[in-house]
Amino acid sequence: MTSSSSDVAVSLDGLGKKFRLTHDRNWTLKATMLAGHRTRYEEFWALRDLSLEVEHGQTFGIIGGNGSGKSTLLKVLAGILRPDEGAATVDGRLSALLELGAGFHPELTGRENVYLNGAILGFTAREIRRRFDDIVGFAELDRFIDEPVRNYSSGMYVRLGFSVAIHVEPEVLLVDEVLAVGDLTFQKRCLDRFAQLKAEGRTIIVVSHDLDMVGWLCDRTAWIQQGVLQAVGPSSKVIDRFAIGADPTATAFDTGDGGRPAFERLSPHDLVKSVALIDPNGHPTDAVGSGRKISIRVQYDGQAAGEPVTVALGLYRADGTHVASINSGATTRGIARSDRAPDGEATGELVEVDYVVPTLPVQPGTYELSVALHDASMRRVLERHTHILRFEVSPTGIDPQNGLVALGGTWKAR
Amino acid sequence: MLDRLAGRLQIDLLVNLTLRDLRSKYKRSALGWTWSVLNPLVAVVVYSAVFSVFLRIQPTTGDPSGLRSYAVFLLVTLLPWQFHVTSLTEATRSITANGPLITKIWFPRWVLPTSAVLARFLTLLVEMAVLLVLIAVLAGHFAFAWIPVVLMLMALQLLFTVGLALMVSAANVYFRDVQHFLGVALAPWMFLTPILYPLNMVPEDREFLGIDYRTLYQLNPMVSWAKAYRNALYDLRFPSAERWLAIVVATVVVLAVGFRIFRRLEPRMAEEV
Repeated sequence: MTSSSSDVAVSLDGLGKKFRLTHDRNWTLKATMLAGHRTRYEEFWALRDLSLEVEHGQTFGIIGGNGSGKSTLLKVLAGILRPDEGAATVDGRLSALLELGAGFHPELTGRENVYLNGAILGFTAREIRRRFDDIVGFAELDRFIDEPVRNYSSGMYVRLGFSVAIHVEPEVLLVDEVLAVGDLTFQKRCLDRFAQLKAEGRTIIVVSHDLDMVGWLCDRTAWIQQGVLQAVGPSSKVIDRFAIGADPTATAFDTGDGGRPAFERLSPHDLVKSVALIDPNGHPTDAVGSGRKISIRVQYDGQAAGEPVTVALGLYRADGTHVASINSGATTRGIARSDRAPDGEATGELVEVDYVVPTLPVQPGTYELSVALHDASMRRVLERHTHILRFEVSPTGIDPQNGLVALGGTWKAR
Repeated sequence: MLDRLAGRLQIDLLVNLTLRDLRSKYKRSALGWTWSVLNPLVAVVVYSAVFSVFLRIQPTTGDPSGLRSYAVFLLVTLLPWQFHVTSLTEATRSITANGPLITKIWFPRWVLPTSAVLARFLTLLVEMAVLLVLIAVLAGHFAFAWIPVVLMLMALQLLFTVGLALMVSAANVYFRDVQHFLGVALAPWMFLTPILYPLNMVPEDREFLGIDYRTLYQLNPMVSWAKAYRNALYDLRFPSAERWLAIVVATVVVLAVGFRIFRRLEPRMAEEV
């Protein structure tokens, strides 16, 4: 790590960046002459009053919805855009992966482009020559390096761009949503490379929509919305807040009386009458521990359905990741209003179906449930309610864990 | 020390961008670099036919070289002029055409117009070398003694053109009118420079606002270059001190103003491009 006077690698101090929205972007000399200094445009602040610090060696995530100013922030840090207010200071050699292969010329060969792109990123020819084999090797393009890059597939193109940028050996690396490139093997190697850079004590700033990746890679995270800093802190906390706060409909799922989920979105004409989580004691609940037993209870009007019904459930994380889908069709061949169904319990016209999960195998977080009713053969959808129930899965046990599923294993050392 | 200077001048980046321009220029064309030879060749044939044969413009006699050839008379000024035109045209678009690069990566932006001029300058070097051989064949070996003077003139013209290129390329980001204006302005500019005819054909006995035509005419800085190139390569004579002075002053002023304008317009280029 560099010996600097402070530990701060990147510091933002009241940073603001505004853009001009001209309605006619093609300004002509004549128009300007005629309008004089009173050129008409709207101003809009893409970033406002942003202050935060990133320490050397830290991996820092920036999350936020589309148009929240994340990429503008990276461009300001990269020196591409100049702040209109405040200051952004970066300590150390910087490399920005804003768009891979941005400097490539399609008519030139891969080799020529490596030197060109390297020079644009601030390399001398000697430095590139020394790393050339590594760059080409990492991009796995040995056979094609003397082909014009216009013949490259998009995957080859970004692989080469990534490889050049990553070999600049930056002290501060800015990454904008570039990991969604290449095949899985290459993505994995990119992540490995990031982990390696992280281990070397380099500072990495990542902008991404992939909350999993940010959570996995970043020590700290900032959440920006409409150019304003909403939260900054340990990644998991900020991501949780973002996942709840970023969804404007989230309040619709707020629990009503006594923790029982409210079903504002169900109308009296719907077949589905209620969807609820039931704890092992048979009581409705809105939270469940990871790895604990839980039932999902769906009540519907069996008489109105008038035919055997297959119940389908879909489980999603708050960020939209599809976790699982199950339907009763395969096991019950349609749940009728009679008590033919083994786990369905008829009470008058209301059919109550429980889906019992002995150990809920998901990680802590916020989840959403979708419910659909199909005919017995699953050919027709009778009714569909997406994201009708929102609930928290709380952490249990002492093992720190992360990711998508709770493996529920135990450690044994010998 | 030398490394730091090279770093400041962005030598590696300039070299790479210049090579990019040169390498990509004639890619996927059957004739390739033959085109860069054909261009001045066709110009010389057409201009000689029209101006020397049809309009009977007499070239001056080279003094002391004794040369009297319209083609050589024309070429010694036409080649630097064509450099002037093409490098300005290409430099004007150099920033707007590299928009994707400008909005994604930070690097000193002045290298873009500068490398566009440099790429064209390398072609000029080759053209001038060929021309010098032709002159030596016609006038004698002592023509080669003028190489340092010609190189000096070319170096100054390079700096002058870079200064202009910085102005027009930066201005073109904000006003695309610049590239169209340039297209309109370059043709009359050529006819107002002693390339196709000798300077002494511009009348001294007619006045505009009390100033004679010849003096007005010489306000065009390209007149000094045309005259100096013709002195060095056609007359084989050292250009006069006044010419040198005019050239150096024009170069320094244009380069300084060019850099200043560029500096001012640089920060918001990524937004406007």
